[in-house]
Amino acid sequence: MKFGLTEEQRLFREMVRDFAAKEVAPLSKQVDEEGIFPQKTVKQMGDLGLMGVAIPTEYGGAGADNVCYAIAMEEIARACASTSVIMSVNNSLIADALYKFGTEAQKQRYLIPLASGKLLGCFALSEPGAGSDASAQQTLVARDGDVFVLNGTKNFITNALEADLALVFATVDRPLRAKGVCAFLVEKGTPGFTITKVEKKLGLKGTSCCQVLFEHCRVPADNLLGEVGQGFKIAMVTLDAGRIGIAAQAVGIAQAALDISLRYAKERVAFDKPIASFQAIQWMIADMAVQIEAARLLTYRAAWLKDKGLRHTKESAMAKLFASETASRAATKALQIHGGYGYLYDFPAQRLFRDARITEIYEGTSEIQRLVIAHQLLN
Amino acid sequence: MNIVVCIKQIIDPEVPMSQFKIDPRTKRQVQGNNPLVISPYDANALEVAVQLKEKHGAKVTAISVGGATTIAALKSALSIGADEAILVNEPLLAGSDQQGIAYALAKAIQKAGACDLILTGCESGDWADRAVPGFLAEELDIGYVGYVTRIEVRDGQVVVRRVVEDGYELIEAKTPLLAAISSDETNAARYAKLRDIMAAAKKMIPVWKAADLGLDLERIGAGAARVAITDVYIPVKESRCEMIDGNTPEEKAAKLAARLRELKLI
Repeated sequence: MKFGLTEEQRLFREMVRDFAAKEVAPLSKQVDEEGIFPQKTVKQMGDLGLMGVAIPTEYGGAGADNVCYAIAMEEIARACASTSVIMSVNNSLIADALYKFGTEAQKQRYLIPLASGKLLGCFALSEPGAGSDASAQQTLVARDGDVFVLNGTKNFITNALEADLALVFATVDRPLRAKGVCAFLVEKGTPGFTITKVEKKLGLKGTSCCQVLFEHCRVPADNLLGEVGQGFKIAMVTLDAGRIGIAAQAVGIAQAALDISLRYAKERVAFDKPIASFQAIQWMIADMAVQIEAARLLTYRAAWLKDKGLRHTKESAMAKLFASETASRAATKALQIHGGYGYLYDFPAQRLFRDARITEIYEGTSEIQRLVIAHQLLN
Repeated sequence: MNIVVCIKQIIDPEVPMSQFKIDPRTKRQVQGNNPLVISPYDANALEVAVQLKEKHGAKVTAISVGGATTIAALKSALSIGADEAILVNEPLLAGSDQQGIAYALAKAIQKAGACDLILTGCESGDWADRAVPGFLAEELDIGYVGYVTRIEVRDGQVVVRRVVEDGYELIEAKTPLLAAISSDETNAARYAKLRDIMAAAKKMIPVWKAADLGLDLERIGAGAARVAITDVYIPVKESRCEMIDGNTPEEKAAKLAARLRELKLI
């Protein structure tokens, strides 16, 4: 049993950490305060191979493993959670789905530009009435000759405003629930594909989160991903892998919380001593560090299992559950350690606090993760 | 065209002051948990070399004198665009001064084969004594230009841009030439692409010892050093505040100017 990173993974971490420190972190405050999509950074990430980390090189990706992907997600999230979720959606939710389920023609047309960062993707599964209950899809699809026609509304779609391509889920027959769901690749600009609302969110302000309307949206039959009725399976398999990315993102946010806490605790003086010398602060820092390390190891293990081609449903759920709750706890403690300054926008603790919270909700709430884990253990 | 880039692995010079510690016994910086990086100007030198490779089809070899950890720096060099990398890892080199290091590098460069350009950083990010490039050129008996930011190849010659106090000079030189690189907007070190990192991780890096290079042991190590560090310390920062009084802003400005002149600050 080896706990160390391979040489490739170490070199990769060094590069991404350096890139994140110099290019991503300096923009994080502005991205958050002004709600700016980090266009230039995303392009740089595409050039470096970070938008298709685990996609093979023949399909435009970097050809690395999922542990490298987890490392990349953690380092980028440590610098800016908004930038990391843009990367995560593209890598995990659309490029990975295309790689696993796409035809060769679909891979040539969409996967290569997605993985190399020339196109940006989004994942349109959630609906006003279908969040955790993803099989309750209301968006309908009907075949009309050599096209499929989509009608319905999606919400909470990350990256929708900037994306060039959406992976959209719809059902041929609502009562069929999971068995009726299909998945489609829909290009931005297709008539009938409209963004109807850009949400204002508590955190992750550098990414768009949108309501999207499909109104008699005609999609070529060649853009069906997988088979009719296979959509729910595609969604669940994709989200399984996506959990590794979000777990890694959460580890990154938590690590950032620890980083700023260590720095502040050494600098802030109270009662003639740095507050780092007080047991109350030391215990908070120790607890944060232990939980972050545990979350990191759970995440790397899930990534390692995926690399080995082994089942990782339970492990991905465990990693996502624990890492996301760790991020929230760590960010809360960081804010507390900063005292009154933690509450001010001038200091990063409040941004981490706001950004961390969503990791317990999206790509499968903590409650759903618990159900998944229990189901795996009991069946 | 064959280009050799000499790189040095150092403790990250960007670490916060609170993490900068000196060991009083060895008179060296303590690494602690601080990361190791390629010395920044050496990274600029590597960038210049890779740009020349992209433009003229050159072969780039990165060479470093160091220990086992230096392999990581050389792998980084490979992932950024160097074609080959060589490590000189010889315990007897410990304690060598700048001339000893330059001697070892010269022997490694000679063993690596004929080259047209040798690039180094203009100074290292740790000691910044700017000595090795000059000594290296002397060992190799080739021309040397310092503070070079750009290099062009024209008609079998190189034209280097050297930074001077109030601008720059363009110098035509025959090869082989040693250029010590300084930074400007054209040679910022690039980030390695992920697929290049994967490829670099698989490459073998030869490790050469004194015997491989035929080093004269009388010229290396602490015994051969002609420079000795007597003391290294972190200066104690002091701050004083002197109030300049006056009835009007003009009067205060005049008194401030006089005081600054008195203190020989202007």
